[in-house]
Order: sequence, then C-alpha cells, then structure tokens
Amino acid sequence: AHLVRISYPGRLRDSTPILKCISPCLQLLPLSRYLLCEIGVSEPASLQLLDERAVYTAVKAAVCRAHGDYGAALSSISFAVKYVNAHTGVVFLRCRKRYYRLIWSALAFITSLDSRGKKIPCFFNCLHVGGTIRTCQKFLIRYNTEQLHRMLPRCRNEAERLEVQKAVRSCSLKCTRREEEEEDEWDEDK
Amino acid sequence: MQEPAAYERLVYKNASEYHYMKISLIFEKEGKRLEAAFFKQLIISALRDLYGEVGAAFPFDVLKFDEASLTAILRVYSSGLVKLWSALTLLGSYHNESCAVRVTQVSPFLLALSGNSRELVLN
Repeated sequence: AHLVRISYPGRLRDSTPILKCISPCLQLLPLSRYLLCEIGVSEPASLQLLDERAVYTAVKAAVCRAHGDYGAALSSISFAVKYVNAHTGVVFLRCRKRYYRLIWSALAFITSLDSRGKKIPCFFNCLHVGGTIRTCQKFLIRYNTEQLHRMLPRCRNEAERLEVQKAVRSCSLKCTRREEEEEDEWDEDK
Repeated sequence: MQEPAAYERLVYKNASEYHYMKISLIFEKEGKRLEAAFFKQLIISALRDLYGEVGAAFPFDVLKFDEASLTAILRVYSSGLVKLWSALTLLGSYHNESCAVRVTQVSPFLLALSGNSRELVLN
C-alpha cells in the first residue's frame, strides 16, 4: 500500500518522509552507505562457518522484527552483504544512504546466526559507516594497526613481537589481505 | 501626521504537540463488543505489523472508548500521527475476524472533535 502524506495546518517533522518535493538541485545518483561491522562470537572456531547468506538472512530478519514491514521493505532496497571475512569476523553491509539507520539500529538485536543448519550465538558491533568501500578499507587498516599496537605489549616471546612489528610496518591498502593473514597467525599462536 | 497602526501577527508552524483522532471500529459481523484494553492491543498489533517493535513502542493514548458503538478518541504525538494513521488504515483483522477502522475526525485540538458538520442538527 502507498502511504500518502496528508497536509493540514502545521508542518510535521517525521524522520522518513515518503513523498519528497522535487528540489531545484536533484541528486539522482543512488547514494549508498557501507556499514563496517565486526561479528563477535564466544568460540573463535565457529567463525569459520560464517558466510554471506547467513549474515544476509540474519540482518533482514532483525530489521523486519525491529522496524516491521515498512522497515524491511525500505532497507532491502539495494541491501547487500559485500564482504565477509571468516577469519576476523569483519563484514561489509551496503544499503541506501537514507535508510542506513534502520539497519544500524537493528544490528543490536541480532543474537545468533544460522549457518549450514547450525546456530552460532554472536553479536554485531558496528565499527564505521562510510560512503564508499575504499573509505571503509582505509578505516579498517587504521583500526587493525591500532589493534596490533595494543597486542604488542602483550607479546609473550621475541618471535611474536617481530611478527607483529612486521605486520604493523606493512600496513597499506595493497597489503590488506597479507596483514590480516599475519594477524590471524598471531591469533592462532595465542 | 498619524503614525502607522502597529499590529502583531503570530504564525504557529506546529499548532499542537498532540493530535487527536476520532475513529470507529467496524466489524464484518454485527453486534461485536470489545473492551478498551483489547482495543488498544489491537492498535498496537497493527503498529507492530507495519512498523515493528520500534513502531509498536510509540506512545499513544485511548482517551475515550465507547463499547457499544466501538468509537474511540485517540491522542498521539504529532510526530507519530502518520505512523498511527497508516497502521489503522492497514488494519485488517482481529483474531481472524475481518474488521476496518473508519477515521472520522483528526485535529490538533481536542475541542474540534466535540462536533462536526456531519452530525450538526439545526433546530
């Protein structure tokens, strides 16, 4: 059903206007927002079961529960799970700029992911909202560098320390995958 | 020479923070009675279907409810009027019984709901 805006004396301010008057400067390019999230699980082994479909269905179900038919329909306009990293639990979600808050608020209500028949209890932690994937990648590199810096004082032996220092020095946009692998190796040692 | 008359014009952009709706619930089956609590629960479930838990949590009040004629006066914050009205429009059934909501009057002022030109009786 279409929702029609009723006009009466006094201007209403509701957060998501359905009909928008045509303004002189039209922005016709579909703007999107990329949500950089981190999935936290109690057992790191269950992270390996992570895949895009499980995240997609979980987020859609959470938005439907929190915001109803209205929210589910609006947020699913060009909603996609762009990237899932099963080692670190990093997820990129893409949605429309106007409705990203619906998804953002619903992320807090996700308690479990259903992947290949198994239920993984988890929580979603939104780290960054960016306009493009590139800005999100840049933030992720800075964030991972900070995490590695925090890990450095807790290194147990010299080999681990050297590895972490090497990883920190090699942080750049091109070397993202290698740096994540090194972080993962360190995690396994721990 | 006379000074120009001074006057002051007050313009209210937002007339009132609440909006009041007079609605009536119509069932397919005649003669159905409902309690005020069930009526409010019905509206909340309509809000939940359309706007989810966040929408269902939006506060509104049932100021008056007449069980015999199933008419009610609702009060809602102005920011939630569109949500409430759209949820009432799309309300279709109550416990597997078809029903509909007719919105008789909407006004930012409660006094305006005391009478309307449809029910005006001229003597």
